[in-house]
Amino acid sequence: MTPADLGRIPTRILLTGLLAALASGCVTSRVENAREGKTGIGDGETIVIMGKSYHLGNETEDSYISCVEDAIGRGRGGLKVIPRQQFVDALFPWFEPRTAPAETKGLVKLMERPGVAERIAEQGVRYIIWLDGDTERVAGGGSMSCAAGPGGGGCFGFAWWQNDADYNASIWDLQGLENAGTVSADVSGTSFLPALVVPIPLIARTQSAACKGLAEQLRAFIVSEPQI
Amino acid sequence: MAVTVGVRFPDNFRSFTHEEEALGNEEWSIDLGRSNEVLFTELFGYMFEEVRIVGPDEDPALLGLDAFIEPSIDAFEFSVPNQTKTDSFAVWIRYRIKVYNSSGDQIANWPLAAYGKSQSRMLGGSEALQEAAVLAMRDAAALMIDKLDRETGVGATRAKRATAPENAVPEAQTTAHDGDANDAG
Repeated sequence: MTPADLGRIPTRILLTGLLAALASGCVTSRVENAREGKTGIGDGETIVIMGKSYHLGNETEDSYISCVEDAIGRGRGGLKVIPRQQFVDALFPWFEPRTAPAETKGLVKLMERPGVAERIAEQGVRYIIWLDGDTERVAGGGSMSCAAGPGGGGCFGFAWWQNDADYNASIWDLQGLENAGTVSADVSGTSFLPALVVPIPLIARTQSAACKGLAEQLRAFIVSEPQI
Repeated sequence: MAVTVGVRFPDNFRSFTHEEEALGNEEWSIDLGRSNEVLFTELFGYMFEEVRIVGPDEDPALLGLDAFIEPSIDAFEFSVPNQTKTDSFAVWIRYRIKVYNSSGDQIANWPLAAYGKSQSRMLGGSEALQEAAVLAMRDAAALMIDKLDRETGVGATRAKRATAPENAVPEAQTTAHDGDANDAG
C-alpha cells in the first residue's frame, strides 16, 4: 500500500459514511421513562432481558430482544447481561411463557418456591426487564415498474412505506420484589425507494433506532439514582 | 412426590411423526423421534420418588406401584407463516395423561394442551418449526410440574393405597395376588 493509497482511505470512509447517512430514511423517536422506585446496580449484579409471554399476546421480535441485550451490555458502563435462555433454563419451569409471573405481585410467591431464590442469587440477577411491543408497517404507497431488454434494464417510479416501532420495558427489581418503573420507545420511520433507472433505497432503520434508544435509556434508568 | 409410579409409553408416543400438507401445498414432516419419551422419563424422574418404565407386555398391577401413568398424544397441529400472515411458526400438542391407582382403576384422565411459537425471521422455516415444537414440549413439561398433582391426584396414591380396604384384607386375596405373580413369572 502506497502513501497515496493511505491518503485515500479517510476519503473512502467519509464517502461511505456520507452515503450511509444519505441512504437512510426519516426517523422520529420518543423515549420516555416513568420511575416508581429507586434503582442502582452493584458490581456483581446482573440483569436479564426477557420478552413478555406470547401467551399474553405479545409479539416482540427475538431479534429486537437480542439487539437490546447487546446494546445495554456494550461499551464502557455496559451492564452485565445474563443471556435470557440461560436464565430461563436455570429457573425451569418458572419462567416459561406459560408460567412466568405477569405482575410483580407473583414474585413473592415465586421466590418462595424451592430453589428459585438460590438460582437467581447464583446468577446475581438484580433486575428482570420485560419487553413488549413490536414493529409494524403502518402505511405505504407509490409505484414502481422495472423492465429489461437486450440493451439493458432499469426501473422507474417511487415507493415509500412507514414503520412504527413501539416498545415498552418494565423493570422489576428482584431485591425489593417491586416494579422499579417503565421505559418506552416510540419510533416512527419512513423509508423511500426512488428509482430512475437504478432504485436507490433510503431505508429508515426504525427498529434499530428503537433498540438503541431504549437500551440507552434503560442503562441510565438502572444506573442512575432518581432526582429528588 | 413420595410415590412410586410406573410409566408406559405407547408406540406412537415413543416415536412420533406428523405429516401434513400445509397451505400452498407445502409438505411438512415433523419427526419428534424419541424426544417425548426422553422428556417424560426425565420429567417423571424429577417429579416422583421412583419411576419404573413398564414394557408393553408387563402387567403394572404386579409391580407394587402406587400409581401407573400412561401418557399419549391426542393431536398435533401446527401453523406456518403463510397461514397466519405473520412470521411465526406455532405448534400445538394435545397430550393425554391417564393415571391408574394400584388396583388398576383409572383415577384421572387429564387432557393437556401445550403450545409453542417461534419466529422465522431469525431461523429458517424448518428450524423455526422445530423450535416451536420444542417450546410446546417445554410448555407441557412446565404444565405438568405445576399442575399434574392437582389435576390427577397422583401424589396421594401412596397414602390412599395404605389406607385402602384391600390392604386390610384377607389372606385369600393376598394369596391370589401372589398366585398371579407366580403365573406371570
